[in-house]
Amino acid sequence: MKNSQVNVTKEIADDNYFYLRSCIRQNFFPGAENVFLDILKNKLGKNIIDNANHTSCTGIGYHSDIVPYETYQTMVARQFALMTEHGFRNAAVSCITSYGGYHEVLETWKEFPEEEAKARKNLKNATGRCFEIPENISHSCDIIYRFRHDIAELAKYKLINKQTGKPLRIVDHIGCHYAKIFPDKGVGGAEKNTVLSAVVEAWGGESVDYPERRHCCGFGFRHYLVKNNRSYSISNSKKKFESMEPYCPDMIVTNCPGCNMFLDKWQYALAKIEGKTYSGDKNGIPVLSSEELAALVLGYNPWDIGLQMHQVDVEPLLEKIGFDYNPDEKYLDANGNFMGKPEFIGCLD
Amino acid sequence: MIDKKHIAIIGGGIAGQEAASVLTGLGYKVTILEKNERMGGMLNKWSKLFPDFSSSQLVLDAVKVATDKNLNVICNADIFSVQKENGRFKLSDNSSLDVYADAVIMSTGYNLFDATLKEEYGYGVFENVITSADFEKVHKSGEKLTTADGKAPRRVAFIHCVGSRDAKTGNTYCSKVCCITGVKQAIEVTQMWPECEVFNFYMDLRLYGSKYDALYLEAQKHHKIQFIRGRLSEVSERQGKELQLKAEDTLQGRPLRMKTDIVVLLIGMEACKQNEDLCRDNALELDENRFFKSKNIYNHRNSSTQSGVFLAGSCICPMSVNESLESARSAAMLVDKSLKVQER
Amino acid sequence: MRTMMQKLREDVRLKEGLNACMGCGICTAVCPAAEYFEYDPRSIVVTVQSGNEEKIRKLIESDTIWMCGQCMSCKPRCPRNNCPGLIISVLRRVSQETGAFVKSRLGRQQYLILKTIGTNILETGYCVYPASVVPETHPEQGDVWKWIYDNKEAVYERVGANLDKEGPGAMRKIGRENLDELERVFAESGGQTLFTSIVEYSRAYAKESGFVDANGQPDMEKYTDFLLNEDNDEK
Repeated sequence: MKNSQVNVTKEIADDNYFYLRSCIRQNFFPGAENVFLDILKNKLGKNIIDNANHTSCTGIGYHSDIVPYETYQTMVARQFALMTEHGFRNAAVSCITSYGGYHEVLETWKEFPEEEAKARKNLKNATGRCFEIPENISHSCDIIYRFRHDIAELAKYKLINKQTGKPLRIVDHIGCHYAKIFPDKGVGGAEKNTVLSAVVEAWGGESVDYPERRHCCGFGFRHYLVKNNRSYSISNSKKKFESMEPYCPDMIVTNCPGCNMFLDKWQYALAKIEGKTYSGDKNGIPVLSSEELAALVLGYNPWDIGLQMHQVDVEPLLEKIGFDYNPDEKYLDANGNFMGKPEFIGCLD
Repeated sequence: MIDKKHIAIIGGGIAGQEAASVLTGLGYKVTILEKNERMGGMLNKWSKLFPDFSSSQLVLDAVKVATDKNLNVICNADIFSVQKENGRFKLSDNSSLDVYADAVIMSTGYNLFDATLKEEYGYGVFENVITSADFEKVHKSGEKLTTADGKAPRRVAFIHCVGSRDAKTGNTYCSKVCCITGVKQAIEVTQMWPECEVFNFYMDLRLYGSKYDALYLEAQKHHKIQFIRGRLSEVSERQGKELQLKAEDTLQGRPLRMKTDIVVLLIGMEACKQNEDLCRDNALELDENRFFKSKNIYNHRNSSTQSGVFLAGSCICPMSVNESLESARSAAMLVDKSLKVQER
Repeated sequence: MRTMMQKLREDVRLKEGLNACMGCGICTAVCPAAEYFEYDPRSIVVTVQSGNEEKIRKLIESDTIWMCGQCMSCKPRCPRNNCPGLIISVLRRVSQETGAFVKSRLGRQQYLILKTIGTNILETGYCVYPASVVPETHPEQGDVWKWIYDNKEAVYERVGANLDKEGPGAMRKIGRENLDELERVFAESGGQTLFTSIVEYSRAYAKESGFVDANGQPDMEKYTDFLLNEDNDEK
């Protein structure tokens, strides 16, 4: 049968989500997850549950090969069991590795029912739990994509340079496991993915293509996890930055927590190593996730959503948008007390 | 009684016309039903033919059936139904046209693969990515191939197997003629631009025709065309609309990156979509590649699974001009044989 | 004794990842690891497809199988719907189960990953955990991360996270009963067995290589130190 990846339209549930968090996003950009829940509940009026009992899916362990597939399947089955117990059939997934992983497991089960039976047995023996197959697995970027026009209607800001009146030039990076493993599970497929560019355009920005758009950020699982191997990771990110540079992007938008972190941190590391940035200034190119970008156009306080946790400073971007914010509150704690500040922000002194 | 027998031919390309001229020559009444305004089919789009660079017009002129009292040509006839009624066939199009015949030849030809489906190659998105059919159009116009902004290309890359031997596009078969087309067109580029570097990215060079290998030799020896064994993985556009290719040079075992001004996609042949309609009201069947299924691919290549309906040319499988013409002649002979058997 | 090929075939992912390869190189063309290392996923697939025991044994003892970054960029391009990245996962599993991984420098690193990610998973319920991203070993994380690390409680609280506390929320403490379940899942489904296999083969290799304590037992601290500093000789 014809398996064309053109005009892939995937199904995205429109309400009643069970939220499955991301290890990396919670660790580095916890504010992005919180504001995603807040947007869904309080701006879009959706039902989404944040359950305390779910754990890591162990996907990073799986792709760095210390967790066998059978265990991974059982861990995924456990997440599904929690959904089932709470009466939810739609998963909203924060992590791209998990997102790819849940689909990988479901596809295996479709093709090889004996694997599903094994996972059910393992889960039952280990935890006494049972599960139903979810009806819909969507990534948080899918949900933002689905409601991009609603968000645009509620938006306080547009992705427009306030001074020039021109749309911000935005490059995107799609996490590899979002659509490369199963092209029909990603909006627009694997090759010309539109899940982020459509969002950017709906909010007034200009989506800019660049040659290495589809190249991996370089996480490489074991390559980043082992210190001696990290040059693999940084050299792949560098390849992307070099490819973006001529297009002078105002920012990078990502859908993957890991990519978000690497593209932020490797700009800093490359500046330290090479004395060079790819942004035309010393700060670097700000990197935001789709959650953070949605929060910005909706006018959330940038410090409530954790943008002070980025190494590349987001303030120049806020200035471009004409965002009304208070720079003095950037390093205040929950009670308004100064909590100290990083020795250095951005990429180059 | 031959002159009382009527044969309908669906498709007025070179195969349909060749079959018609054999049959009228034998004294049969023949009607060609062509869905387009003009006869000639896909060959109208081609400029020069492999392996000897003859003009396609030469073939088109040669197959043109001499005006004959026994020949009836109906253009703009998009036949969608073939039904057997009282031992004869009734062919209908979307208007009120009904044609009755004692035998039918299918010569519906082929479609070109829609290269936009191979998204990673950027056809329809990047202006400097064109197809082999686009190249023929340029060649036929007498113009030279240039980049989208009118410049002489410094480097051109031909990409083999686009929409062929590819489970991703649903076409797992080999289109057979693209390899030699790539060699031919590569030479034509160097004839237009002697300074231009030309590369062919191939997986297997399937140069099956008797004179095709000589053309390959000529391409390498006299035109310095380079052949790289590796299937193209992706095309992206750089600033200035220059293209960036990613492939593996599999003979070196290393990834290969190349910047090029123009990419030409050698698109494969697909069965006509309309074939499905034509099978609906009879015993015709399609094969796994959606071409018409032969009764048996060895002895009965030109017989369909419906008795009285015969197959000619590239509606059976991808074929070169030569093969199409041969196939048409053998289909015509088979029609003659079968009607004579009926007669007895 | 089961052959290498039998061991590979037991894994459902070999069926998913390998239909038949026609050697076109479309995977290597787009592979980030092929660009970075002397690495060619096409030839790995061809080796596995050959079924040659000796070649497969050499492969799982080599650095080669550990070079893939698991990005799966190869998957959507293959004209035969193979997935070299998935075949790699299968080779790595067999390499770890048979102890072949300790014969290569990159393979031996599995012990380091087990110690970091494996420990995080079993002890915290997360693959990544703030306290274990130590700025000294993560200089690339930069000054902002160092500031977060030094002020964890306040920063996470400020952005609405629930670091190490009960209840839901980002970076919440994952309760004992959940961790117990996780551990039982690992015990039931082979996760624990693989952990043990990696540890035992690593201990044996450490001993063999002279990383021993006063009692002649493997000294895994010394061994870890060795792994952390083991550089690529061939480069």
